[in-house]
Amino acid sequence: MSRMNAMFKKLYKLVLVVSLAIFLFIVFDEIHNLDNNSKRYLSEHYISEGVQETGAINIVTSVLYDYRAFDTLGEATVLLTAAAILSFLVPLGKDKMLGTTFTMIVSQTTKFFIPFLAVLGAYLILFGHLAPGGGFVGGVVMAVIPILLTITYRVEFSEYKFKPAKKKLAEDIGAIGFILLGLVGVVTGSNFLANGQANFGPGNTGELISAGLIPFLNLMIGIKVGAGLAIIFNSLIKEK
Amino acid sequence: MELAYVVVIILLSLGMYTIITKKNLIKIVMGFTILESSLILLLILVSYKPGGAAPILDKPYEIVVDPIPQALALTAIVIGASVTAVMLAVVIKIYKRYGTLNVDELRKLRG
Repeated sequence: MSRMNAMFKKLYKLVLVVSLAIFLFIVFDEIHNLDNNSKRYLSEHYISEGVQETGAINIVTSVLYDYRAFDTLGEATVLLTAAAILSFLVPLGKDKMLGTTFTMIVSQTTKFFIPFLAVLGAYLILFGHLAPGGGFVGGVVMAVIPILLTITYRVEFSEYKFKPAKKKLAEDIGAIGFILLGLVGVVTGSNFLANGQANFGPGNTGELISAGLIPFLNLMIGIKVGAGLAIIFNSLIKEK
Repeated sequence: MELAYVVVIILLSLGMYTIITKKNLIKIVMGFTILESSLILLLILVSYKPGGAAPILDKPYEIVVDPIPQALALTAIVIGASVTAVMLAVVIKIYKRYGTLNVDELRKLRG
């Protein structure tokens, strides 16, 4: 009887998931048909006017850091909260999670790769308004450096190179710098985090120093995401 | 209906099935991650136009894909990574406290 019951339960869950799939199939069919004959006014506006209004070539960056910069602030706050929760939940201890020791090949390759990773991360952060990339992606590439050090040379060496207090300081600088750069818009008589409306657009479009505040906001987000992810990884691996 | 939408549906159903049926907490976290990646794929698919260029307008293009879902996908990726990290930390804590990862054996969690 109990076996029958368990089988029935399993079948019930399967039917539930299959009916969800059929529902999604119908909905996506509608979305797909809708696509062909509807006009998206907002994205049309971003594509046709975005470069003149914000000065950034990369429209995704101009949506993230100009039109919807407030959303980006909230997103950065989520990351800050996650790092704070992790360093609160997980006690500081030795790295018991790492069981293996690596050969010389792995450590030498890691040593060889780290400068390239740093250059790639800096490029992705600084050219975020001109090329694919941006603060989030570049910050993740930067965070790979302490993570690689932690995995290859253990936590002690990684924390000797990148001290936890300094990482926390970097994350705070990123968060506070983002808000201060947003307040520049208020000081000049416009909205919070205004860039295009306040006419901060020095330099020619397509050069490195252009698009007003967007490169600096990218830099702040890059510092913050890199430090935050490094803190998250080291906290998880130092669980006793 | 393109094939890619079918892939989204398969991934979403797979993630949902994993979350409902599996007993191991780590597998449940994996199900959440699969679900989240299917949603990101859906956002990218909604923004896609056939023959469209990426929204980096260094010279005028005929067709450009929609930039807004791409920005939302970026947000979703970052928040998903944070939520996964917090979930894994809580799973570690649960294992320390109860000595098991099986959902059925975690009786003290029942209300």
